[in-house]
Amino acid sequence: MSLRDDFQPKWKLALKWGWLSFAVFILMAPTFYTVYISFNELGFGAKYYIFTFQWYESVFSDRQLIGSLGWTMLLAFITLPIVIPFGLMSAKLYKQSTKKVWIVFILLSPLFVPADILGSALLVFFKNLNKFFTMIAEYTGIYALESWFDLGIMTAVIGLIVYTLPYVFVVIMITMARYRVEQTEAARDLGASAWRAFWEVEFPQIRAGVFSACAFVVILTFNEYTRTSLLKGGFDTFTSVLISQMLNTGMSEESYAMASIVSLVAIIIVSIILIVTAVKTDELEKITRAVKEPNK
Amino acid sequence: MSQTNAIEVKNLVKTYGDVYALKNVDLNIADGEYFVLLGPSGGGKTTLLRSIGGFIRPDSGSVDIKGKNVDNLPPDKRPTSMVFQGFALFPHMSVSENIGYGLKIQSIENNIIENKVSRMMDLVGLTGLSKRKPHELSGGQQQRVQLARALILENDVLLLDEPLSALDAQLRKDMCIELKRLQKTVGISFVHVTHNQEEAMSVADRIAIIADGEMIEQGTPKEIYSNPKKKFTAEFIGEKNIFNGKVLDVNKSTILVDIESDKIEVANKNYKINKGQDVSLSIKSESIKVDKLKVSKQPQENKAIKGKITEITFLGQFVRYLVLLNNNQEIQVRSHDEVSNINVNDDVMLSWRLEDFLVHEG
Repeated sequence: MSLRDDFQPKWKLALKWGWLSFAVFILMAPTFYTVYISFNELGFGAKYYIFTFQWYESVFSDRQLIGSLGWTMLLAFITLPIVIPFGLMSAKLYKQSTKKVWIVFILLSPLFVPADILGSALLVFFKNLNKFFTMIAEYTGIYALESWFDLGIMTAVIGLIVYTLPYVFVVIMITMARYRVEQTEAARDLGASAWRAFWEVEFPQIRAGVFSACAFVVILTFNEYTRTSLLKGGFDTFTSVLISQMLNTGMSEESYAMASIVSLVAIIIVSIILIVTAVKTDELEKITRAVKEPNK
Repeated sequence: MSQTNAIEVKNLVKTYGDVYALKNVDLNIADGEYFVLLGPSGGGKTTLLRSIGGFIRPDSGSVDIKGKNVDNLPPDKRPTSMVFQGFALFPHMSVSENIGYGLKIQSIENNIIENKVSRMMDLVGLTGLSKRKPHELSGGQQQRVQLARALILENDVLLLDEPLSALDAQLRKDMCIELKRLQKTVGISFVHVTHNQEEAMSVADRIAIIADGEMIEQGTPKEIYSNPKKKFTAEFIGEKNIFNGKVLDVNKSTILVDIESDKIEVANKNYKINKGQDVSLSIKSESIKVDKLKVSKQPQENKAIKGKITEITFLGQFVRYLVLLNNNQEIQVRSHDEVSNINVNDDVMLSWRLEDFLVHEG
């Protein structure tokens, strides 16, 4: 605790915590309300509350919802092995570079472009790319690339990569900031190849950040609507089904149940990430201090 | 000590933009020699060490280790091991895993690794700590782990980059003794970078002074301390007093130098110096004798000068006097014993033996 905190009246500290709790409550209240409704047999807006699991049972018999969940997970798991190494390399580049501001600007720039503009820009780009490859195919007789950029999983994954890379970069960069490059040099000096030095020395120390980034990618894939809707082609994702259901018929009780499942899973994952990261950060802080001030 | 060279550095140049980190540096380090690169921070010592270790690619020049050119070899292919400034231990590995890491990379059998690690831990005084993580060790123990980790590979040269800089004064002294003992035991060449002259003096067979990317001079600790050839070395090593002046007279046995307010006579040690030339004189603070100025005993012409005490500080083994001369230059005098009846603002007489003054060009 800082010196200023030592002299702070207890009521001020209580006020701060009270304010924080209130803010969290306000932010999370709609989610908790959705969970609350999902257990009511009589559904949204009913006068009475009868506790039930029936909506959760019917979720698993709703083929469209389960199918969209499958597509979403598939997109997340295809995106992960592409975007995580990208983010990792970008964070390493950031750490080594002297032009850090430019790297941050370039990598975070997709966040500054509105989702619908970026989505439609990608859509136009892919359509033109398709035209180009069709033309190539007509001239050369090579049809291998002709339908590569038809709307589908690949285009949706590219859209997700553009969307999730900035988050992955930031999460890994924060963890990597505490890593001391001398350790890689020491490993190289002891005979390790660059890859082995990374895998055996650096990666174990930034693992928490990489796993956090993976969890973020999955959560963001569920969260994403605009870009994925524009680029997905002929399948539905979980969010697009939920939103179309809401627009067409209003939210069904199954939708509330599914939204509750996804929200609770996301909250649990993020909480675990935060707790693990906090513990790891605390450990790293102690180690860094012990190494920097070994006599203390 | 054998006469073969463990390391031969020729014309090494390294620049960062317009700044020269190394300017045509030449260096020979003998087999089994404890060599120290000493100089102020930012002088190029670490750049030179890292060029030898393969962590930096010089702009030009060459590095040979054991007669073999290593210019194009990365660190893992050079017969060197490095002890890093910041205890670059792997925090997620135990002490024994850290020490055995280099052998594990060589795919050596586990039981052989265990035996070697155990022997190396005994050698550096880490017995019984094999399961501990680096952050559970003291600074001295962490540094021993780094030493063991580097020495276990039995390379020809051990490079040490400011290895004791993070330790407190007493631990640093103890580690100096241990480093010297260890080097004698393993018999390989150690190249040790430091900006601490006491550390350098206590471990080195030879010392090179490096500043502004240049090799200033090399020699044994005694040569560097007692008889520095360059003005920079004289200023950097020990508590030396430097006087700038002009040569008034040169004869076979003495040189007379005008330092503006006074004239100083010094012994001529075959200096190649001419009358009228600008020179610098240096003298160690412990080589000056301070006495209270008495009317009955005036300073002998050119062999002593007058001054006024401005500060007296007790430093344990020494008493340090700051003395203001007539030319407004303040010099230091260190005496083993406190001189009786001398107080701040007293007029004093400073005297010396002629041979204690050294003459440097420029």
